[in-house]
Amino acid sequence: MKKELLVAILKRISTSLIVIFLLITFIFILLRLAPGDPTQKFLSPQLSPQLASRVAESFNLDKPVLSQYFSFVKNLFTGDFGYSYNYRQPVLSVIKDYFLFTLLFSTISFFIQLIISYNLVKISFRKTGGTIDKSLSKLSLILFATPSFVLGLILVYIFSVQLDLLPTSGLKSIFHDDFSFTGKIWDYVLHLILPLITLSLAGIAVFYSYLRDSVEEIFNKSFIVNLKAGGYSDREIFVKHILPNAARPLISVAGIEFGILLSGALITEVIFSLPGMGRLTVNAIFNRDFPLVIGCSFIAGVMMILSNLIADLIKIKIDKRLLKDLLQ
Amino acid sequence: MIISKIKIWHFLLILFVLLIVLRFNLLIGLVELYIKFIGLIFKDSKSLFTQIDFRFIDNFISLALLFVIPLILFFSKRIKKLVLLPLSLSGLIIILLSTSFIFAPIIINQHPEFQKNISVTKLLPPLSKVKFIELKAADSNSQTDLENFTMLKKLVIPESFNDRLIFIDSLRLNLSSSGSSSTKDIDASIVEYFQNGVMKSTPASDIVSNQSQPIVHEKYFILGSDEYGRDIFTRIIYGSRISVLVGIGSVLLSLLIGVGMAFMAAQKGGIADLILSRMTDLFLSFPAIFLVIMILALFGSNLISVIIVLGLSGWMSLFKIVKSEILSIKKKDYFLSAELIGLRNTKLLIREILPVIIAPVIVNLVFQFTNVILAESALSYLGLGTGTSYPSWGAMIESGQEYITQSWWMIFIPGLVLIITLLSINSAGKKINEFYNSKFQL
Repeated sequence: MKKELLVAILKRISTSLIVIFLLITFIFILLRLAPGDPTQKFLSPQLSPQLASRVAESFNLDKPVLSQYFSFVKNLFTGDFGYSYNYRQPVLSVIKDYFLFTLLFSTISFFIQLIISYNLVKISFRKTGGTIDKSLSKLSLILFATPSFVLGLILVYIFSVQLDLLPTSGLKSIFHDDFSFTGKIWDYVLHLILPLITLSLAGIAVFYSYLRDSVEEIFNKSFIVNLKAGGYSDREIFVKHILPNAARPLISVAGIEFGILLSGALITEVIFSLPGMGRLTVNAIFNRDFPLVIGCSFIAGVMMILSNLIADLIKIKIDKRLLKDLLQ
Repeated sequence: MIISKIKIWHFLLILFVLLIVLRFNLLIGLVELYIKFIGLIFKDSKSLFTQIDFRFIDNFISLALLFVIPLILFFSKRIKKLVLLPLSLSGLIIILLSTSFIFAPIIINQHPEFQKNISVTKLLPPLSKVKFIELKAADSNSQTDLENFTMLKKLVIPESFNDRLIFIDSLRLNLSSSGSSSTKDIDASIVEYFQNGVMKSTPASDIVSNQSQPIVHEKYFILGSDEYGRDIFTRIIYGSRISVLVGIGSVLLSLLIGVGMAFMAAQKGGIADLILSRMTDLFLSFPAIFLVIMILALFGSNLISVIIVLGLSGWMSLFKIVKSEILSIKKKDYFLSAELIGLRNTKLLIREILPVIIAPVIVNLVFQFTNVILAESALSYLGLGTGTSYPSWGAMIESGQEYITQSWWMIFIPGLVLIITLLSINSAGKKINEFYNSKFQL
């Protein structure tokens, strides 16, 4: 059993790597096709053409595209993404800080989403069709339709402009370095409250409606009636029997959602000017920083596939029958 | 309840009557303009065509549709059935959205980029009004028909700049008439007015006046104005056009790609099917928004490229639905017999498959439509939208972000409009889904 699982995972990872490779090749072609010369930013027309060619050489852009591609592939397999044009540093060391922030930020947001939506489902399920249930489903519809940039700006207006409670943007305040250790942490927390709410509310709405629908579907099945007749308490039925069955669609959605979060919450980062992967990627695209774009896309792809894989593994853990699907 | 008794056609009727009554002068002017245009075609066609621009055609289409749509509603039996349904809130909002999409130039007789005297008109809160005085039109003894036509066109289709309007805070009153002597002699031949605390003057003879007193008009900014003194209500009405246009365009594109590819995959099978399915999985497994942003940022963004890129990023779910539907249809007897008769592929698609798959496809398209509107506004918010030639809701919110401390309306009003639009289209999609699914269960 374990061996089968291992083989399945390895197979999955290898096919995923091929997919990522194709994606990165696609992005490579896009970047080379696009108008705009990355060297242009570092040169002025007054400088000599020799210098221009030297800059192009340092960017590895002077060779024909095909040989560029081959050296790119060769470097990819050795794990070398090259130097970022803008930061003048290895791509991975540029990405490191941004990725750490995104990892922390999106993981916290993800767990907030899961925990709150789970508890809301529990509350609303106590009385199906009651006022709480109805208003929660209405609210989730509204939140689902609210674009995150509108939501974020409304929150900024209420909490920062009107009430003056929370900072509007950035990760730390100006006096951050003078604070003690706990003060620093508190500063971070204050700066992250609004972004976390902005990022989480839409996810809560999605998770809530998925979980709510599937819980109701399971609840109407006959084995639940059977259990009830057997005298089990509602709580026990909910936690032990309804939830594991209802969680399956939620886990698939959550896997995709987590992957998207890990590749960067672009709009939230833009509203609150946070140093995350989304903004790094988009700025790299705008600056025509080819190696950095490729590096960011690679990380995004890997995160996407990893989180999907983890979701599948959790599903198998809950329901062993799903192993067959993975093995195929 | 009375509300539940109101049918869609009641609302449509009220809307049309309101539009015609409130904009009667404009409509008459437009009709006159286009009659003159037709008359001039035979006389002086060469210099006439330089007068044709986007707004001219836009106004013409709106005017034509104002007459055509009631006829369609009245004579088409299928639409008649739809119009007899009771009006719901989401239906109301969708009707308002499509009305403002189609009749924007008639609803608002003002250029969306119109701005003048920014110091007076900028960042006005909702429901504020601004006084303005009007300069006399330059005496033009227009003789030729073409000059007449140009004059009328300027009158009926206003441009983004009008030097005859002067927005003012207040006029400096002519005190000499009231008797109290002033230290300064106020020259009766000069009209003085204040703009944001600064006093300015123009010769009184230039200003449209009644018995030597300049006439002061008032302009209402129902939803306030933005940082350039542009009317937000106008911009929202015109902004609906970008959203709807991008929505329709890219949804149609993904419909074409999705159905075409699904048909190909289902008919050919084998390698084509495998490649297409793998490609769909590949596209589905990555956040499309990054690819969309990448392509738009690299190749430049305008209306056409936004439509194409959003259309290309949305065909995957359609492909999956349509493919599974076609595969199940292919096993049915009627399809086999149609195939055996020897119908060609295109005919098979149109006659046998499309009528069956149309219901799930429409439901998918409606949800796709909301996704595209959302994506378009997010792209505009990020500055990768459809360009500056037309206002867009997302771009309005983006420009309001800078003024969040002073003017909430610049963010909240477009944001609210966006949310309400998305909500009502979503709920309409749900209703269509229920309608079709209940039909299938019978």
